[in-house]
Amino acid sequence: MLEANNLTKKYGDYTALNNLNLTIGKGEIFALLGQNGAGKTTTINLFLGFVEPTSGVASIDGLNVATHAEETKTRLAYIPETVMLYPNLTGLENLEYFSSLAGFSYEAGQLAGFLDTAGLQSSAHGNRLGGYSKGMRQKVGIAIAIAKKAKVLLLDEPTSGLDPKASNEFSEILKTLSASGTAILMATHDIFRAREVATRIGIMKEGNLQSVTEAGAISANELEQLYLKTV
Amino acid sequence: MHLHLIRIVALHEIRTVFRSKMPFILYSILLAMLLLAGFVGWNYVSKFNAQQARYTTEVQDNWMNQPERHPHRVAHYGYLVFREKAPLSFFDFGLDSYVGNSVFLEAHRQNTVNMSEAGFSNGMLRFGELSMALVLQLLVPLFIIFLGFATVAGLKQNGVLKILLCQKASYFDILAGKTAGLVAVTWLLFLPLILAALIGGAVLLQNEINAELLLRSGLILFVYAVYFLIITMIVTGVSAMSKNASNALIMLVLGWMVCFIVIPKSAQTLGSSLYKAPDKIAFEQAIEAEVRKEGDSHNPDDPHFAALRANTLKKYGVDSVHKLPVNYGAMVMQEGERITSGIFGTQFNKLIETYQAQNAVSVILGFFDPYLPLRNISMQLCGVDFDTFSEFQKQTEQYRFDKTTLINKIHLTQISYENDRAQKVAQSNWQQMPPFEFRPVPLAATIYNAKWSLIALLFWLVAGAAALGFISSQRKFQL
Repeated sequence: MLEANNLTKKYGDYTALNNLNLTIGKGEIFALLGQNGAGKTTTINLFLGFVEPTSGVASIDGLNVATHAEETKTRLAYIPETVMLYPNLTGLENLEYFSSLAGFSYEAGQLAGFLDTAGLQSSAHGNRLGGYSKGMRQKVGIAIAIAKKAKVLLLDEPTSGLDPKASNEFSEILKTLSASGTAILMATHDIFRAREVATRIGIMKEGNLQSVTEAGAISANELEQLYLKTV
Repeated sequence: MHLHLIRIVALHEIRTVFRSKMPFILYSILLAMLLLAGFVGWNYVSKFNAQQARYTTEVQDNWMNQPERHPHRVAHYGYLVFREKAPLSFFDFGLDSYVGNSVFLEAHRQNTVNMSEAGFSNGMLRFGELSMALVLQLLVPLFIIFLGFATVAGLKQNGVLKILLCQKASYFDILAGKTAGLVAVTWLLFLPLILAALIGGAVLLQNEINAELLLRSGLILFVYAVYFLIITMIVTGVSAMSKNASNALIMLVLGWMVCFIVIPKSAQTLGSSLYKAPDKIAFEQAIEAEVRKEGDSHNPDDPHFAALRANTLKKYGVDSVHKLPVNYGAMVMQEGERITSGIFGTQFNKLIETYQAQNAVSVILGFFDPYLPLRNISMQLCGVDFDTFSEFQKQTEQYRFDKTTLINKIHLTQISYENDRAQKVAQSNWQQMPPFEFRPVPLAATIYNAKWSLIALLFWLVAGAAALGFISSQRKFQL
């Protein structure tokens, strides 16, 4: 579903991502761990098409992102560290707007259903986003991905700043999405959350993917030791 | 490009603008200024024209009621001509405040219409008068800037742009939609007001509406609509190129200062330094010098007038001007009139060419500043431009020449050479002369004269669209 073949990005002499080879299949959650500047966000930006690769190919559903920007966009959804959206619009209105830009036209009931699926309580649907907590806004972001029927979900530090309860709820939603076949690439600093939610975990350092581990084959402590040793 | 997605973005933009309080507050201020400017302008033009009409009647009555008198006294009695302000001049004052509105017409003298103010004839130094056009030309762009500086940069700053770009809409769709939404808001808020003011104000001023007035109003509406679109494209483009909203605001306000203060003032300074125009005294001295070269009618030995005398005597087969069947004195006066009028015409045309060359600087700079072409077109369509003024001067001179020629003809045929000064002619002779009526520059000529400004505006429109296309194609402007 998501594939990087010898993917490299250089800014002058600085190599932000070096020769990344990675495949994330349908229903898989891949967590990218690493310090700031390790190349996690660059990887996500390359899959989003915001950055042009220096060499190599980033592809989604078999389509090269660089050459099939419009087609790949219809298959993916993106949730940044902080989902701001439009604070003057309600959760429902935000969802309606983003869905319509994705080419979908939903009834109010369907939109409310997506927000429910994303875990946002019904009483908040009609409130302006400006009054939402970070966790609630992340849920609207998830609802946008669900409404879009995205096959691929790209997440950049999605649990950063969330309280444990909200973070746990978010993990559960991701598991539900992966169970329905969505391929998820998540950049994070949160080792514990990565091990809990991901199927595989990659650790990056200075633009290189240093190691890839099956999440189920390693304990939280072992992962932490591996991470500290790697970075 | 997806038109339906552009429409969605545009409608969203409109909804977002109408949900915030700041645009409403800004609009309220501008609306108050526009209404005030409209009323003050209309009131001034209304009173001015009423006053001009009173004076015109008074002058005409005085002219008609002159007693039986010698034609040359009639010629020197003079006639004051007034220029009524154009019906749309309440909307755009243009050069009206800097050029004269009346001229005293008399024999042998070509009095200019306040030519001493010709140095300011471009009106570029003017900044103080509050007209509707001034508010629309200078302050509405500021309104658009405040409305749209964060339209893309703000989304970039808070990460929403990335999410937007992950939908089906392309960056160009988003930029085009935002431009369409912002300009739709501006059009909705200002265009109906402009149209109502133009039609309503002009109808109240002249108690009628005609096709030309409607056409002019329609064209003014159209060029202002295009102008707002250009400004909106610039605002969206700068916002899209900026990393954050504050950078965009700084760039746009700086751009506003350059385009609305620095370049217009520089255009005036550059124009007048490149093409120096004479002041009133120098202009009159140049005419006097030319007249002296041509001949002095009071000097019996002047070769030009000696030749005229010889030719006239030969033509009538007599040996003395006393034996001519016509009044030779009137003939000399008419010849003098012909010479001075010709010289004035030549000098005046030179002056006009100088001013046109000065104005050409601002027309050329219009390709670097969208405000200049709009300002020029607005003045031209409202009939308060330099062409209208010079046309008035030309028409008054033609009227003066025709009137003097007619009086000289009366003198020539009805007053005998002997004992010339003691004779009089009946009032009916000058009572037949029609009063002066200014014929404004026709709309077709106005459009032709405005062609380069129109092309400059079109250039900005195309360049704006191309710039948005270019910006949307650059990945560096997406993050």
